[in-house]
Amino acid sequence: MIAKYLAGNISILDKTGSWDESIVLASQVLLDKKIIKESYVQAMIDNVNKNGSYMVIVPQIALAHAREDKGVLKTGLSLLKLNRPVMFPEEKLVSVIMVLAAKEEKNHLELMSELADIFIDDKKVKNISLSSSIEIIQEQFR
Amino acid sequence: MAVDARARLQAFGGFLTAMVIPNMGAFIAWGFITALFIPTGWLPNEAFAKLVSPMVSLLLPLLLAYAGGKLIYSTRGGIAGTIGTIGLIVGANIPMFLGAMVMGPLSAFVIKKFDRKIENNIPSGFEMLVNNFSLGIIGFILCLLANALIGPIIQEANSFLSMSIKALVNTGVLPILALVNEPAKVLFLNNVIDQGVYYPLGMQDALNTGKSIYFMMASNPGAGLGLLTAYSIFGKGNAKSTAPGAIIIHFLGGIHEMYFPFVLMKPITIIAMIAGSACGIFTFQLFDAGLVAGPSPGSIFAYLALTPKGHFFGVIAGVFVAALVSFIITAFILKMSKNGNDDELSVSILQSQSMKSEGKAVLSNITEDNNGKVENSINKVIKFVAFACDAGMGSSAMGASVMKKKLSKAGIDIHVEHFAIEKIPMDADVIVTHKNLAERAKLVVQDKPIVAIENYLADPKLNELIKKIKNQHK
Repeated sequence: MIAKYLAGNISILDKTGSWDESIVLASQVLLDKKIIKESYVQAMIDNVNKNGSYMVIVPQIALAHAREDKGVLKTGLSLLKLNRPVMFPEEKLVSVIMVLAAKEEKNHLELMSELADIFIDDKKVKNISLSSSIEIIQEQFR
Repeated sequence: MAVDARARLQAFGGFLTAMVIPNMGAFIAWGFITALFIPTGWLPNEAFAKLVSPMVSLLLPLLLAYAGGKLIYSTRGGIAGTIGTIGLIVGANIPMFLGAMVMGPLSAFVIKKFDRKIENNIPSGFEMLVNNFSLGIIGFILCLLANALIGPIIQEANSFLSMSIKALVNTGVLPILALVNEPAKVLFLNNVIDQGVYYPLGMQDALNTGKSIYFMMASNPGAGLGLLTAYSIFGKGNAKSTAPGAIIIHFLGGIHEMYFPFVLMKPITIIAMIAGSACGIFTFQLFDAGLVAGPSPGSIFAYLALTPKGHFFGVIAGVFVAALVSFIITAFILKMSKNGNDDELSVSILQSQSMKSEGKAVLSNITEDNNGKVENSINKVIKFVAFACDAGMGSSAMGASVMKKKLSKAGIDIHVEHFAIEKIPMDADVIVTHKNLAERAKLVVQDKPIVAIENYLADPKLNELIKKIKNQHK
């Protein structure tokens, strides 16, 4: 299911200036596809400012998200791989920024559980955060 | 073992309080409308008086049922509770407060159990359909059951009451009647006992002697005054601040229903009510006091207006004694339970939700002792782990899913679910949240253990928690 949501939403950049810029860049594809509204991007940034980097869910990977009512139009997921990691607050280095837009539906749980399975798989996490090929990253989510 | 029972009792008290307190405003609104606009009120108004009956028989019990159901199983539980309770209300034909407080949580419990059963067996894509129809169908069944069963129960209760009151009256020892009156009043059977038994007896009596003590058996506003005064002085939080207003509506307005919620949230105070009323009746007897007609509503003004010349002292003394006795006993009960803090807990939770995040809570119970171990701080058997994050959608959902898998691999089937911080349910045994969010979580859940982690998927403290749960379930 994740692979389906991610299809076409993976991009790779060499580096970004700051963590909030990385969230903006990672969100762009979802904005273009009208999956989220501008307000959602700001909400995610506010969330990090307010609550710290708890979205850095495993080392190197940030799962940026905010509440559904902040501007989620559809369920969607995007991934931005940075070849040079960016520093999130609390000195956390992040090289993969995923943006999650989730509509509260029952299959949301299934989606999250699939994501979790990937994040607890050390090998996959390694492949995602070290690879610089969209295909290889995509492959990890199958 | 004894400690366990006490803790349970306290938790139950906290549950009742949490069900009643949020609805105090509705009780007060209704109390004002009733005291002001009924035909014997201060500003009789026919149109406004029409509000009285639907509010007390529908609005208030349904609100209680919703609050009770919601405590058990959030909004879905609240709705189930409300559906079940409307069956009860229509079937019973009297204001069903106690019924609502049973049926609300019970219905929520049924739908919760059902959801747990089918949780993993719904084909994807059908979740919404199954959810709506399961609530609809179960609600429909609960509603019909409640409706069919309650009628006969109420009828039995009524005839049992009337019979026992008549038997007690025949003994001539009138103060004993308080034993029946007070519980019956709080169960909202006061009209049955007043209009069904006491007023006919009183009218007979008054025909012969010009006055009757029976008019005062269940309508003495003294005991309620004492109870509410004690709450005003020794109560806690919201109960304390609501009580003075309730006094006005109850004692001056004669709407006794105002003190019912206070008894319902701490049922043991019924003892104060019984003792107060019994002493009141005894005092009335002592001075041979009586009223010329049934006081309706039972306010102090109605009492004085219906007191025959020369009997003012006896009537006032009876009201005063009842107030004094119930005040002392309620004060004692409230003082005694001050150290048991569960019920304070739920009151303060409700307050804290509106309190904003100022007044920073001390993170005393975040589950780390000096060594940072989870082990020592959770003693209860864990049956429900709530993962919380800001949105309740992302990190907490993954965390919950991972823990669930790990536990089910170990053959342990407990409830693990994810929530937005503000929606953590009351029945969670332990809350897992990110350390940056722990303070906010604390404001919501107060005394419950919080495991503050840094990583939702793999944190050493999560492994400790899992180990702890495994040990408990060996």
